[in-house]
Amino acid sequence: MSRLYRDSGVVLRTYKLAESDRIIVLLTEEHGKVRAVAKGVRKTGSKFGGRLEPMSHIRLLLHEGRDLDIVNQVDTIDSVAPLMIDLDHITQGMAVLEAVDQMAMDREPNPQLYRMLVGALRTISTSDSPLVVPAFFWKLLALEGVRPELDVCVRCGETAALVAFDMDHGGVLCRNCRSGAPISAEALQLMRLILGGQLNAALAAPVSQASHEVNNHATRAVEHHIERKLRSVAVFERH
Amino acid sequence: MAATYTQPVQTLIDELGRLPGVGPKSAQRIAFHLLKAPRDDVARLAHSITDAKTRVRFCVRCFNFAEAELCPICLDDRRSGQVLCVVEESRDIVALEKTGEFHGRYHVLLGAMSPLEGIGPEQLKMKELFIRLEPEGVEEVILCTNPNTEGEVTALYIARMLKPFDVKVTRIASGLPVGGDLEYADELTLGRALEGRRELT
Ligand SMILES: [Zn+2]
Ligand SMILES: [Zn+2]
Repeated sequence: MSRLYRDSGVVLRTYKLAESDRIIVLLTEEHGKVRAVAKGVRKTGSKFGGRLEPMSHIRLLLHEGRDLDIVNQVDTIDSVAPLMIDLDHITQGMAVLEAVDQMAMDREPNPQLYRMLVGALRTISTSDSPLVVPAFFWKLLALEGVRPELDVCVRCGETAALVAFDMDHGGVLCRNCRSGAPISAEALQLMRLILGGQLNAALAAPVSQASHEVNNHATRAVEHHIERKLRSVAVFERH
Repeated sequence: MAATYTQPVQTLIDELGRLPGVGPKSAQRIAFHLLKAPRDDVARLAHSITDAKTRVRFCVRCFNFAEAELCPICLDDRRSGQVLCVVEESRDIVALEKTGEFHGRYHVLLGAMSPLEGIGPEQLKMKELFIRLEPEGVEEVILCTNPNTEGEVTALYIARMLKPFDVKVTRIASGLPVGGDLEYADELTLGRALEGRRELT
């Protein structure tokens, strides 16, 4: 009955279990979100070493269980080491993991989400762009079918003087119809780059008022979609 | 699942099941063990719990377990106040003391930052660490949080907050395998890790 299977995955989070085990929550390439037990992983000298920490990108051999699978073997694809040396990289990585954990479905394959997550973590470890996480959030929402309207007022169809952004209404609003939060022309332009297939141009933008705006709108939009706060963002926002 | 035990038994199982690392099955096993054990043994256990809970508190300075205002380490004036070792829990002090390599004082955070669980600096004894530095003349802070993601976030966050202070900030060496809990490291490895600590900039 119980069968072994191989897959690649990213560790989304872990929970302590009993004395020295952990439950590992993974987004796998072919099996969607999977929960598996890693036995003895908290012991020094565990055969899993540090390969099951959040953000680890790994190749796994798993034993299928009724509820929880069991981790049998782990090989590193991308080590977390480059992410772990910088506080900003870790916090960005955590925000990405939390959003994915909230949106991914148990045992429902979503290879595109998996590829996006791997790409986002790689970009975080090599880029200092302030827009890596917001860009990922907008792409994630687009993948979920929630793509904000950025070109015409969602209420009246006006194309000029777009000054506000409201996820409740699904996008930008003109001066006459405005609701939600204000948005600057620069921020709107960055969002158009992100969602219009010009990600690299967006990632080249420096830290600015506009990048902060895009960041805030992206966080609020994800929170609106998952109907709860992103904890990993809130923890660092207070400072 | 309907409760099939009489109410006192079920209450005991429920209470035990709230302990860390004790699942429903273990809770049941422990409860049955206690119910079969001699009355004296159980009384001793109950007494030791209430006794520890009434007599033990947190050291007002370092948040280690203490029986008085200050813990035995803070009271020991042979220990140097110039080097401060930051740990997540009191049990890590026990592990570090076994190495015999450290003669400074400690600061217990009572946990680690966990962004995914929403545990940030406010939930830890972080401010309490920063206000110790000047009055105690601390020259070096060694960050001995666990070598895992949460421990690493905590260490990097403290290092960033300590930048404006005139103290050397070091991190316990990476001789420790990532992913393991500090409390499971053997004395030799831990002692070596402490010796080979590196400065964080
Ligand atoms: Zn309008
Ligand atoms: Zn003390």
